[in-house]
Amino acid sequence: MALLVVPACLLVLALLVGPMVLMFRISLEQFSPTELMIATVSPDNYVRAATDPYYQEVILSTLGVALLCTALTLVIAYPAAYWLARLQSGWKSLVVIATMFPLLVGNVVRAAGWMALFDRGGLVNQTLLAIGVIREPLALMYTPKAVVLGIIAVVLPYMILTISAVIESIPRDLEDAASNLGASAMRTFWRVILPLSAPGVAAGSILVFVLCMNTYATAVLLGGPRFKMMAPAVFDQFVRGNNWPMGATLAFMLLAVTMTFTVLGSVVFARRYRVR
Amino acid sequence: MRALVALAYLIIFAPVLMVAVTSFFAQEIISFPPPALTLHWYANAWDKPEFLRGLVTSFQIALIAAAIGVPIGTAAALAIVRGEFKGRGALSTFLLAPLAVPGVVAGSGLYMLYVLAEDFFDRDIKATVQGLVAAHILLAIPWTVRLVVASLQGLDRAAEEAAANLGASPFTVFRRITLPMMRSGIVAATMFSFIQSFENLDLSLLLVGPGRTTLPVAMLNYLQFRIDPTLSAVATVQILLVGVLMATTDRFVKLSRVV
Repeated sequence: MALLVVPACLLVLALLVGPMVLMFRISLEQFSPTELMIATVSPDNYVRAATDPYYQEVILSTLGVALLCTALTLVIAYPAAYWLARLQSGWKSLVVIATMFPLLVGNVVRAAGWMALFDRGGLVNQTLLAIGVIREPLALMYTPKAVVLGIIAVVLPYMILTISAVIESIPRDLEDAASNLGASAMRTFWRVILPLSAPGVAAGSILVFVLCMNTYATAVLLGGPRFKMMAPAVFDQFVRGNNWPMGATLAFMLLAVTMTFTVLGSVVFARRYRVR
Repeated sequence: MRALVALAYLIIFAPVLMVAVTSFFAQEIISFPPPALTLHWYANAWDKPEFLRGLVTSFQIALIAAAIGVPIGTAAALAIVRGEFKGRGALSTFLLAPLAVPGVVAGSGLYMLYVLAEDFFDRDIKATVQGLVAAHILLAIPWTVRLVVASLQGLDRAAEEAAANLGASPFTVFRRITLPMMRSGIVAATMFSFIQSFENLDLSLLLVGPGRTTLPVAMLNYLQFRIDPTLSAVATVQILLVGVLMATTDRFVKLSRVV
C-alpha cells in the first residue's frame, strides 16, 4: 500500500523540492554579466534586496498593496459570505459554483475585462463623459487603484467561500436567542456572529494576503510597466536582467513569506477551517 | 446589506461579463456604446497563429498533465487514506505543498533546473511540451490528492470487507467496490487538474518560448500592447470552455459538495 505514494512523492521531490533547493543555492551566488554567475556562498543578494532603494520599493509596495487589498476584500466579502451561508433556496449550489467560476477562468481573462472597462474609450469613461461628470477621459488604466480593484476581484471568491463555510457552522439558534433577548441586529453581529466566525476571517485573510503578495498578471496588465510588485520583479530578473542570483533571492523571499503565512494559517486554525 | 452583497458579486462578475460583451463590438477600438455588433472577431482570432497555437498547446499540456497526474495522485490518495503506515499525515501535507508555493517561484526554480539540465543532457527542455507537462503535473497531483482523499474519507469499509469475506480477490474488491466509490473524487480531480493547467499563467511564464506558448501567456503578451475585441473573443472562448467543463462535471458530481 505504502508503495502507491512513491511515484507522487518522487515527482514532487524532483519538480518542486529539487528546484527550490537549487534556487536557494543560486541565491547565495554572485551575479556576473559575462558568465551568468560566480560560485560563492554569501548573503550579499539578500543584503542588497533589503538595502537597495529599488528593491525596498518593490517589497514595500507589494506589502502595501497586499495589506490594503486584504482589508478591503474582507469588508466587501463579509456581507456576501453571510448571505451565502444563510441562503436557503435551491439556487444555493448554483451560487456556490458561480462564485467559484471566475477563479477557474484565470487572471489574464479578468484583467482583460478590467482593461475594457478602464480604457480611455471604455465603459467607465464613456459613461462619465456621456452624463457630463467629466470632460476629458480619465487615466484609469496603469494606476495603483486599478491594480487594487483588479486584485480584489481576483481574491474575493476565496474570501467569500472561506468565511461562508465557517458561518454555516454557526447555529442559527444563537442569532435567534440573541435577538429574543433583545439584542439589535448590529449587536448580534458584533457580539455573536463576528466572534464565532473569527477563524474564517483569519483563515480567509491569510489565504488572500498570500495570493495578493504573489499577484502577477493583474499587476503587469493593470499597473503597467512602471508598477512593480515582487512576482513581476522576479520575472524581470530572469528574463530582462538574466540575473539568476538576484531573481532566485527575490523568489526565495517571496516563498519564505508565503510559507510562513500558510504554515501559520494551518497551525493556528483547526483543520476543518482550512480552505479548498 | 443587499447592496453590499450585490457590490461584491458585481466586482466578481464585471470583468468576466465585460470580456464577453466587448467580443461582439464591431469597432476595433473598444468604446461604448458599440456602433454595431459582429461575430467577425471570432474568425479573426482563429486566423491569428499565436492564439490558435496557444489554444492547441494549452489543450495538449492540460490533457497530458491530467492523464499522468490524476492516476498518480489517486494512487497516493488511496495509500494515504487506506494505508496503515506511519507518517501519512505528513505525506499528505507534502503532496499538497505544490499548491502553497507561488507559481512564479516554482516556475523560476524549474526554469533554472531546465536550463542547467539542457546544458548537461544537451537537449531542449525549456519551451517543450514535455517540460511544460512536467511543470503542470505539479498542479494535478495536489488537486487530485485533496479531492480523492476527501471523497474516500467519508466512506466506511463495510462494503469492501463484505466483498472480501464473500471471496472476492483484492483486485476485484478494488475494481468493483473501491474504484466506484472514488469515482466522484476522480472525476472532480480530472476536471480541476485540466482547468488549473489550462488557465495557468504564473507557472508557465518562464517555461514557454518562441513558437511554444500557452494560451494564457499568448493573451498576456498581446494585452501588454492593446485590448481589442479579438482578444476579448479569445478570452470568451476560454470562459466558455471552462463553463462547459464545469457544467458537464456537475452532471456527474455535485461540484458544490466536492470542493
